[in-house]
Amino acid sequence: MTDQRPEQSDPHVLDQPWRIWSTIAVMGIVLVGILLGVIVIPVVQGRSAGIDAFTAICRALGILPGSPAVPQFTDRTPPTPVSQVVWNSDVLRILARADVAKGKAKVQEVCIACHGEKGVSVAPQYPHLAGQSGAAIYKQLHDYRTGSRVNPQMADIAKALDESVIADVAAYYAGQPQRNLNPVTLAESKPAIIQLVELGDPHRNIPPCAACHRAGAGGPIEAPVLAEQGDEYLVQQLKLYASGQRRNDVYGRMRLIASRLTDDEIKGLAAYYRAGFR
Amino acid sequence: MSDTPHELQESRILRTELLWAFGVGIFVAASLSMIVFTALTIKINPPSNVERIDPKTLHLSGEFAEQNLGTTVFGDGTVIVRAIATQFMFVPQCIAVPANRRVTLRFASPDVLHGLLITGTNVNTMVVPGFVAQVHTEFTRTGDLLMPCHEFCGQGHSEMWATVQVLPADQFKPGPDGRVSCAQR
Amino acid sequence: MRNADRLCLAHFWVAFGAFLFACVLGAWQMWVRSPLGAKIGTPGEYFMSVTAHGVSMAYVLTTFFIMGFGYFVAVTALNRPLPGLIWAWAAFWMGILGVVLALISIGSGQASVLFTFYPPLTANVWFYVGLVLVVAASWVWCVLMLVAMREWKVDNPGRPVPLAMFATVANAVMWLWTTIGVAAELVFQVIPASLGLVQTIDVGMSRTLFSWTLHAIVYFWLIPAYIAFYTMAPRAAGGRLYSDTMGRLTFIMFLIYSLPVGMHHLLMDPEHGNGTKFIQVLLTAFVAAPTLLTIFTITASMEIAGRLRGGRGVFGWIAALPWERPMVLAIGLAFVMLGFGGFGGIVNMAYGMNAMVHNTSWVTAHFHLIFGGSVVIMYFAIAYEIWPRLTGHDHPSLAPLRIQLWLWFIGMMVMTLPWHWLGLQGQWRRVANFNYADPIIAAWGPWVVVSLVGGLVLLVSAILFVRNLVVLHRSSVQAIARPLYALAVHPPKRVPAALNGFGLWNVLVLVLMILAYGFPIAQFVIEPSPAAIVHRVR
Repeated sequence: MTDQRPEQSDPHVLDQPWRIWSTIAVMGIVLVGILLGVIVIPVVQGRSAGIDAFTAICRALGILPGSPAVPQFTDRTPPTPVSQVVWNSDVLRILARADVAKGKAKVQEVCIACHGEKGVSVAPQYPHLAGQSGAAIYKQLHDYRTGSRVNPQMADIAKALDESVIADVAAYYAGQPQRNLNPVTLAESKPAIIQLVELGDPHRNIPPCAACHRAGAGGPIEAPVLAEQGDEYLVQQLKLYASGQRRNDVYGRMRLIASRLTDDEIKGLAAYYRAGFR
Repeated sequence: MSDTPHELQESRILRTELLWAFGVGIFVAASLSMIVFTALTIKINPPSNVERIDPKTLHLSGEFAEQNLGTTVFGDGTVIVRAIATQFMFVPQCIAVPANRRVTLRFASPDVLHGLLITGTNVNTMVVPGFVAQVHTEFTRTGDLLMPCHEFCGQGHSEMWATVQVLPADQFKPGPDGRVSCAQR
Repeated sequence: MRNADRLCLAHFWVAFGAFLFACVLGAWQMWVRSPLGAKIGTPGEYFMSVTAHGVSMAYVLTTFFIMGFGYFVAVTALNRPLPGLIWAWAAFWMGILGVVLALISIGSGQASVLFTFYPPLTANVWFYVGLVLVVAASWVWCVLMLVAMREWKVDNPGRPVPLAMFATVANAVMWLWTTIGVAAELVFQVIPASLGLVQTIDVGMSRTLFSWTLHAIVYFWLIPAYIAFYTMAPRAAGGRLYSDTMGRLTFIMFLIYSLPVGMHHLLMDPEHGNGTKFIQVLLTAFVAAPTLLTIFTITASMEIAGRLRGGRGVFGWIAALPWERPMVLAIGLAFVMLGFGGFGGIVNMAYGMNAMVHNTSWVTAHFHLIFGGSVVIMYFAIAYEIWPRLTGHDHPSLAPLRIQLWLWFIGMMVMTLPWHWLGLQGQWRRVANFNYADPIIAAWGPWVVVSLVGGLVLLVSAILFVRNLVVLHRSSVQAIARPLYALAVHPPKRVPAALNGFGLWNVLVLVLMILAYGFPIAQFVIEPSPAAIVHRVR
């Protein structure tokens, strides 16, 4: 054991070099990092790409978009959108504050003729709306207004409604109870259809229907509830998506999926949901 | 202590530890030097692009509206791919790119977090709602590549993937509007 | 040890119970995503299982084990009763409540957001509240560790804090620093969104806050294993610790360099500039240093033991080590896995190489190997070592312990090495079922099955582990009092305050965090990211 002189065993004297050197070491390391990462690398990279040093450093910090090594692309071409509905806080607030009583009054005035007072439609070509997602109804009415979804009957009706009335009607139908049909047991459904609903088909890029259309799955806000929907209507809509005639699904997801389903699958899925499976 | 073996004298222990620590320092410096060297010479960077974009209005207008998606060749020859990552598919589902030419891929998400990689290439990026993800690359081999979504985005994550067709120059022909679509096979 | 015996055992049983449960889930998950279980298990079930597996392994097993082990060290290394025992028990029950809330939320399908809970996917609020309660319980533990060390120092002025306790408190300090990130994310962003108080979330901010926690949390898990390396393994092998000072420096370096590096989990994200990423990559390279230094110091300590037992020649001491002792066997196996896993870590840190492996099975392989492998095997060894002291019984036989450790090692290598390979080929993560009809994916099938076999071996090992502990409880063999902690070759009489406390290091950590994370977080305050709509998973 080396002998220690008395003043060297005083912790204060022992300690000072540690404080000094460790601070120098740690600060030195991080300052080298800052120097290299924020200054040297971006400036050198920018030089051969014709990007000036200041821009390169701003990009390295993230103050400007782009890479310090590559010129940044800028071009904007504004075309026509497929749906004008934007899910931001304002819209969600309007939906949350909807007045069900006003919605019922409007329904009794207008919608009841085809969709029924309780949301059970009067004829197979009109969809049931009982228990449908409020956001889904809101979006479709909105899309009818703007022409994103084409239907001459609904276009006139929707144009006569304003924003808050649309929300009221949506909230009213969303609150109508579904009939809670007792579906036939799963064992009697075709396994191929159940598989499409639960597992999708990765080979055809088809996600499980349940991933979006089952309540609480965490999928898109506007995904409609399919359970208990009329099968004639479902088949018709899937075929319209497949041909591209219906095009208000944002980013064409339903158009793509529907175009990859076979006719048997379309019929089978419609029957599955009509039977009341969720 | 006189009966401590030479190797275990305090000064000797200190010396071996310092020697090893010096070696560790060399290792750390070497790893970092490799990163700095590749950054300075062949411009290796992580896919950073602090470009904000509103996920809620992506589909309305501007760069990521539906009609703009896919591969476009601009007048000056730059090849830009724009794609959307959404629950649960990439749009477009097939992307055509040229071989041996710089391509800039730009992605945005209107909903949740996604991520993607292109097999056999250095394209790998997260797609964070609120930002445009951008990757610059050059595809060196022709053929069909797989581009899966590699970050959990919900129940349909497992079925979310796209195809990237790397076309040789003679097959990569832009239309009059500069657009290139996948070859039908 | 009496006053804290039951406290420690309670924590350990919760930890290992969660561990066994998670192993069963893990094996099921592996089967379902392999070609053998291709059409089984819906995505809903799979992601529920992944969430439960992740929460159990990453939050329950770890936090409860570390708390229990910390209480044990505070009592045995400092040789005094644990201060604030009532608080420790209150924290334990708060943690239990948190675990129950989280598991119920997950089990009811309302929290399938994975243990990394990526907003804007948002679960039931009780899931997050449960996790907050577990973290709060661990904060009570941190305070008790600091109090215990402080009280010991007051009673022992000028003496060096025993290394095991110094390291435990370093871990506690690091944990307090690192949980700030996830706590801020939960309290200010995710819980309000889950309650419906806000409808949107700034995803750039939430990812950055979470990344703050992400690296140091794995060192929080790792440090107890290193405590065993430095203070228990040399004693178990019959040797001495080569350098006490190097031990202290190692834990200090973990404290400094594991905190300001979280952004290396965001290397592939667009929302941070490459310069700010580079700073954290450079600091990440330095966090490799304490591990490399540890390998030298512990190997030297083992060599002392080997030569004392008559080993001769350059490598003869290796064979002379008492490999029949579980702690010695575990450290050997841990070092092998640390070698592979550490190499993977260097690859991940270099962003050019990271681009080849991010979010592929390579990442899954890396953290299963380094955490599930080297760290958890040391948790087993620690449990085997200290259980006799806690219960008064000893193991009737060491053979089942060694078999269990070997099975864990073999299972982990067989499971993770194919995953590394598959990751390089592009196999991506978090998939409930693969499309084995695709030719690229079909080629991966056989390797996935090999991994599955590894996973089943791990399940057997996990069951055997719990069985060994149960057997110990019932054993009629009396535990012999044996020293637990190793002596250094030159036990220090005095150490500088810098190596005996954390005042200086806390200041440096603060400066580093400001330099590394200051701007990256401030940029979202100055200009918030366009917010994304909350997607509720209910």
